[in-house]
Amino acid sequence: MATIILLKDITKTYHLEAIDVPVLKRVNLSIEQGEYVAIMGASGSGKSTLMNIIGCLDRPTSGEYFLAGINLTTLDDDELADIRNQYIGFVFQQFNLLPRLTSLANVMLPMIYADVDRSQRIEQATEALAQVGLSDRLQNSPNQLSGGQQQRVAIARALVNHPALVLADEPTGALDSQTSQEIMDLLTELNQQGTTIVVVTHDVDVAARTKRVIRMLDGVIVENTQASIDFRLKN
Amino acid sequence: MAVETLWSNKVRSGLTMLGVIIGISSVIAITSIGQGVQKATELKIEALGTNILQVLAASARTGGISQGAGSASTLTWEDAQAIAKQVPAATAVAAFLYSPNIQVVRGNVNISTTGIGTDLNFPRVSNIQPQQGVFFSQQDLDIAKPVAVLGSKVRDDLFAASENAIGADIRIRGKRYKVIGVMESKGSVGPQDMDDRVYLSLTNMSAEIVGNNALTGVAINGFLLESSDADQLESAQFQVTNVLRLRHHIRPPQEDDFRVTNQVDIIKTFTSIMGSLTLMVGAIAGISLVVGGIGIANIMLVSVMERTREIGLRKAVGATSGAILNQFLMEAIVISSIGGAIGIGLGIALAFTAATLFKFPFVVPLWSVVVGFGLSLIVGVLAGGIPARNAAKLDPILALHGE
Ligand SMILES: Nc1ncnc2c1ncn2[C@@H]1O[C@H](COP(=O)(O)OP(=O)(O)OP(=O)(O)O)[C@@H](O)[C@H]1O
Ligand SMILES: [Mg+2]
Repeated sequence: MATIILLKDITKTYHLEAIDVPVLKRVNLSIEQGEYVAIMGASGSGKSTLMNIIGCLDRPTSGEYFLAGINLTTLDDDELADIRNQYIGFVFQQFNLLPRLTSLANVMLPMIYADVDRSQRIEQATEALAQVGLSDRLQNSPNQLSGGQQQRVAIARALVNHPALVLADEPTGALDSQTSQEIMDLLTELNQQGTTIVVVTHDVDVAARTKRVIRMLDGVIVENTQASIDFRLKN
Repeated sequence: MAVETLWSNKVRSGLTMLGVIIGISSVIAITSIGQGVQKATELKIEALGTNILQVLAASARTGGISQGAGSASTLTWEDAQAIAKQVPAATAVAAFLYSPNIQVVRGNVNISTTGIGTDLNFPRVSNIQPQQGVFFSQQDLDIAKPVAVLGSKVRDDLFAASENAIGADIRIRGKRYKVIGVMESKGSVGPQDMDDRVYLSLTNMSAEIVGNNALTGVAINGFLLESSDADQLESAQFQVTNVLRLRHHIRPPQEDDFRVTNQVDIIKTFTSIMGSLTLMVGAIAGISLVVGGIGIANIMLVSVMERTREIGLRKAVGATSGAILNQFLMEAIVISSIGGAIGIGLGIALAFTAATLFKFPFVVPLWSVVVGFGLSLIVGVLAGGIPARNAAKLDPILALHGE
């Protein structure tokens, strides 16, 4: 199986006034295509920082990052934008839908930057919304939808360009447990179709549904287990 | 896409457009009204004829002492008659006397108007003809017959529309006059209302109304001289000046006791004043457009701040800085061109209303439309450019977390 994410000695240091704040300290990580990974850890341990680097929203202070074999350290900002567009789908805790656009228009957004023509954008976005069970909410704006429905629109937006990698930073953090289950069902289904998924979560139930858990503490990976897979294989 | 995002926030887009609409519509309306008034004046010049000189008496100076008002006039009817004979460039001369405030009474209607005493050449030289009845004849002039020809406004003031003015009696200075004609309507030329006049024969006006005499002969206030065409006007001016100096024994260092003016010059001056006024007010409107532009820039800047999350999200799903820059620039351009188009429409409508209301020709100078639209685009690009650059530079994570 091909390695989709390969991090080598990644560090991230913020400079606050005169002092350096190391947030990631020589992180090494490899994730294969089709994996379903949870990242856990205390608040402030660097999970979001790591996710932002994996998602090409941020650059590491040092170290090398290969995404699908491409050395991202050498790419410029516009090339990184294309990588985000073609390889990565994001799901955020706060959904981050554009409030004045309909579900359909929100889902169509990534395809605008992929130069997909309008009729195909509508077709693909409609399909993606059907996949998350929102065929009857195409023309609703976010404030006409429940939190769970908004997160499903966000998932549809993340998968509409058929990315190899979906990154979800606390996707159920703003939802009740019932709704969280539904969202996790969607992500699991997406993973079964072959998409690599990385989820940051504080919720052990969420982590239990993945195949591998990475635990972080103060900017380092302290545990990297296939426990849940083992657990599943035993059953 | 720009249109979609603009449509999704109608209030903000509308407010932003308002500045451009006000700026452009005032530029268009003002230049159009200015041009209309100028055009109207040009038409008046053509109606007047471009080949007319006006010669007016000035107060005589003897040994540096001005003789002041009420003294004997320096121009006489004989001067005018001599000019007609001796100036080759003159094709007709009309002598006149005028009194700015004479009371004209009919029954119990009493109005004040301008009295003009003149000779038979006046209608030809002033390019105004009787619409009803006749102008007075040589015989009327010779015997100073008490007959009057009314300007159209005077006729309307004294008579009802259904009444026939011709043959009616009116009183001027207590004396009885018979109305023999009504002149066609010409409107105002510069400050003078050509219709608010009553015409008498020069001889009658001199004997009965004005009553001041020249040292020799019949005093007049001046005369109008017609030359064969506009090109002859300058030589006519030269010849008139010389003939009058000769007749009045004036040698060049000495001041002339008459003044030769050219109606075309007067109206040209008026037109050029109007032109620079239009330009000035147009420039003020242009400034208001720039202020409108600053308004757009401001609103766009605020909107960039309000929309940092949107920008962050767009970048997260793959927008490059260039795409964000484009989006904001396009929004500014769409806003300012829609605003520009509405402004042009509104400006034209305003100008049309003013032209119909105040009865001057309706002209929309093409350049004002082009300049107006061009300006609104420039304003849009400049005013959209700076906020767009700020938007494009935003860091996607900070933008995503930004409130
Ligand atoms: N832009 C920044 N400048 C300075 N420090 C930062 C910045 N972003 C994050 N940090 C710091 O880096 C550390 C890790 O932050 P991060 O957001 O990655 O934590 P996290 O594990 O996602 O926490 P949480 O579970 O609360 O989301 C924190 O101490 C945070 O204060
Ligand atoms: Mg976090």
